[in-house]
Amino acid sequence: MGVRKQSNLASYALGNVLKYRTRSVAIILALFISTSILCSVEFIREGVITDVSSSVDEGPDIVLQRLIGGRQVPIPDSWMGNVTNTTGVRVATPRVWGYSDVGSGSLLTVMGVNATEYGGMINAVGTDILETGRFLNETDYRKMIVGQGIVDMMAASAMPLHVQVGTLLSLITNEGELIEFEVIGVFHSDSKIYSYDMILTDLGSAREVLGYENSTFTDIAIWTNFGSDLNSIAFRLDSRLPEARVLTSDAISDLMLKAYTGRAGVTALLWLVVLLAVILLAFTASSAGSEEARREVGLLKALGFDTVDILAIRMFESITLSLLGVSLGISFAIVFDFVLGAPLLAGYILGWGLVLLPGGIPLAISISTLFTVYAMGLIPILVASVIPSWRNAITEPDIVLRGV
Amino acid sequence: MTLAIRTENVWKTYHPGSPRQVDAVRDISIEIEEGTIAALGGPSGSGKSTALSLIGLLTRPSQGKVYLGTEDVSKLSEVFRTKMRRETIGFIFQTQYLIPQLSAVENVALPLLCTDISRSKAEEIAKERLISVDMEHRLDFRVVELSGGELQRVCIARALMNNPKILIADEPSSSIDEALTKELLNTLRTMVDDEGLTVVVASHDPMVLQWADVRHLLHDGQIVQDV
Repeated sequence: MGVRKQSNLASYALGNVLKYRTRSVAIILALFISTSILCSVEFIREGVITDVSSSVDEGPDIVLQRLIGGRQVPIPDSWMGNVTNTTGVRVATPRVWGYSDVGSGSLLTVMGVNATEYGGMINAVGTDILETGRFLNETDYRKMIVGQGIVDMMAASAMPLHVQVGTLLSLITNEGELIEFEVIGVFHSDSKIYSYDMILTDLGSAREVLGYENSTFTDIAIWTNFGSDLNSIAFRLDSRLPEARVLTSDAISDLMLKAYTGRAGVTALLWLVVLLAVILLAFTASSAGSEEARREVGLLKALGFDTVDILAIRMFESITLSLLGVSLGISFAIVFDFVLGAPLLAGYILGWGLVLLPGGIPLAISISTLFTVYAMGLIPILVASVIPSWRNAITEPDIVLRGV
Repeated sequence: MTLAIRTENVWKTYHPGSPRQVDAVRDISIEIEEGTIAALGGPSGSGKSTALSLIGLLTRPSQGKVYLGTEDVSKLSEVFRTKMRRETIGFIFQTQYLIPQLSAVENVALPLLCTDISRSKAEEIAKERLISVDMEHRLDFRVVELSGGELQRVCIARALMNNPKILIADEPSSSIDEALTKELLNTLRTMVDDEGLTVVVASHDPMVLQWADVRHLLHDGQIVQDV
């Protein structure tokens, strides 16, 4: 087929897009809406998966908690020996977790760790885990490393404060008192779920803020020997400590993904419904039900257009409409998620309690997602418009035109 | 004498085997010489349009053969039949089948868009064709803005776009007045005389029938009189 002929057919198809303006606008609008919904959700879901994966990769192999009556309770110091002596355990280090406030009204995650053990295991010393400053060391007391979200939040508060290394911030304890901390570092903003709203400090200071008794912890982070079977070690820990809840990194990853992305399925279902409407619309507009489209195919055949010419016209039309609708939808989703911070949607998908700070939503776009979205937008429209046209094109023009 | 069109015992049956079965054309055999005007006359429902569809390769006969020149085209593949329509036949349809959203020029240029002639060249040729039927003042008008006579002239211009050897015209005078009909017939006569065009026209208009070189009158799908 000649280039000129292809160009003529493409130009005629583009003319059709403009000619049947109502149909074109309806299909583009429907695709725009469905793609906007899907992509807004998908960028967050993908961001969460990426974030959870990197967080879990950087974190411990096993986390051990203590449950009594189904509720999590502090772990006594006496457990440490049992855990450390378990075959396969390389390093076990206690952590103290909880929530506090710097007077802004937003709850922030406070985590106390053993600086040497924990810092060593997450490769915090000498790596780019910090944007500025340094990691904790053994002698630090009432020093903190803060997440980027806290820096942003304080800068945007009613009395703006530029948080940097050396800034003094006060945390409110569980008894309502203020304890002053010095900022010694700021986390890199890559791992948003873990570090965006986090304050990392030493065990003793964390206990003071969160009201833990001395020699008690929230959980124990465990790293195992290289090549050992996590499930076997988890089983051994479970057997030795009947009150323990043992979470492997896989289980943590599953739990987090379920917690953060569960509602994405509901939104994807909504997208599917809208996409079905688009298919129906395209089918109605181009099928035998549309007398105008049917007659046009009959006329073109009578005038000497081959079946493949007619299919090419319909394909050019479908591709133009789909590319426009899907591209507009993706562009909107990018602005909605990355610029506006996915208002309402992020809270719905991630859970209202998790989004403590604006801008703390993990987002990601991958080529495969974009490819899938374009394919999902294009293929149904292509099928819904090409198949009826093909049926008309292989029918004798006399029957199509005269309806005999 | 060279034959442009020949049909041999042609039948056309719609919906065969169903309660809606209709023999629209029954056992028609006609011969039309090159460079002549042949008219198919008869009342509505007599099979004129179906006979034109058979000659114009818009449908296949249920029985019998259709020859264009010396070639039996009834058994040709759809690809070749489409090629023959594109290169050999021009159509003036009873229902004009113009695309309402397009201008007169765009409608007329349509038959050349499925060839390797560029769109701009096709529109240039379309303008010339429209000017030849006195439509130079309406070139860029959308067809919904044209009168009945103007629409018919657009259809004539479109039918001539591919320089056809055979022109099929179904009730060409149905939507135009007597003066325009005369004008149309004169135009076609000139093309027949000058360019050797063969015209097959279906009509129940006495003026059109009188104008033709040969007349075949149909009734109930059969030829009842050759004049």
